[in-house]
Amino acid sequence: MKFAVVVFPGSNCDHDAYYAAKHVLGQDAEFVWHKDASLGGADVIILPGGFAHGDYLRTGAIARFSPVMRDVKKFAEAGGPVLGICNGFQVLLEAGLLPGAMLRNRSVKFQCEHVYVSVEQTDTPFTAACRPGQILRIPIAHGEGNYYAEPDVVDRLEKNRQIVFRYVTASGAVEPGANPNGSASNIAGLCSERRNVVGLMPHPERACELAVGSADGLVLFESVLKTVTQGAFLGAEASAKAAVTAR
Amino acid sequence: MRARVFVTLKPSVFDPQGTTVSDALHTLGYANVKDVRQGKYFELDIDAPTAAEARKVAAEAADKLLANPVIESYRIEVEETR
Repeated sequence: MKFAVVVFPGSNCDHDAYYAAKHVLGQDAEFVWHKDASLGGADVIILPGGFAHGDYLRTGAIARFSPVMRDVKKFAEAGGPVLGICNGFQVLLEAGLLPGAMLRNRSVKFQCEHVYVSVEQTDTPFTAACRPGQILRIPIAHGEGNYYAEPDVVDRLEKNRQIVFRYVTASGAVEPGANPNGSASNIAGLCSERRNVVGLMPHPERACELAVGSADGLVLFESVLKTVTQGAFLGAEASAKAAVTAR
Repeated sequence: MRARVFVTLKPSVFDPQGTTVSDALHTLGYANVKDVRQGKYFELDIDAPTAAEARKVAAEAADKLLANPVIESYRIEVEETR
């Protein structure tokens, strides 16, 4: 299975994502420069963390116009699995591939710490190997992770079960105290209506080996491996690959 | 033509930076400053024959890029320049 890790000018977690896919998970992985128009026949796309285009204007606001995003959009619309981590999540929001927007953290501080998130939904390609309600201890590192959407949009996300990850206490309670940035409904991550596009602020790729303090994030990578190799996700990867290679 | 675009968070959206600035002003003794909302300001130098045309271009720029309609709204002023 092949991962494509998109590299924007200012991405800085691209190597972490590549390392997790290639060296921890043992799969094929390739960097894709944001000006490349090809995704290299990948089965999974990762938009990594960092500060694409210096976060100028708004986080992700310029990155969404990068040439590679046309194929990312096509791949996503055809059902291919796309994961946006931190800045990658912000890019997905600006690109309209996920609903809502990010505000400055309620604390107005860059929050860099390990947090607990619960896996709320296991029928996405990136949580298919999780137990429902599984609690992951993974790090966050962001200044603008305060998820906002109009109340009716948040209601719709709840109803459609699109809230995939929530900030919780170590014992799994959804409390304001467990919310590091002020996100609506303690939202740490979302999926698209079709469930193939997932974005989250925490960094699973930085928590894939015990040597770095936690291996809880690896299950996201194992999930997508399981999904793609077992063809468990509607076989959508194949049609998504076809959508971006046939032109 | 010069278009000035003022982008602000919608009234319903919490503004952590504005709140922090407000707190700082209170520390300086400005108790009469009741609220602060922080935004962005853009000056667009536009080659357009009329003010209306320049406003149209600025509005398109704001819709497509300068403002995020999920959280922000904008206001435009156009001034003739030579």
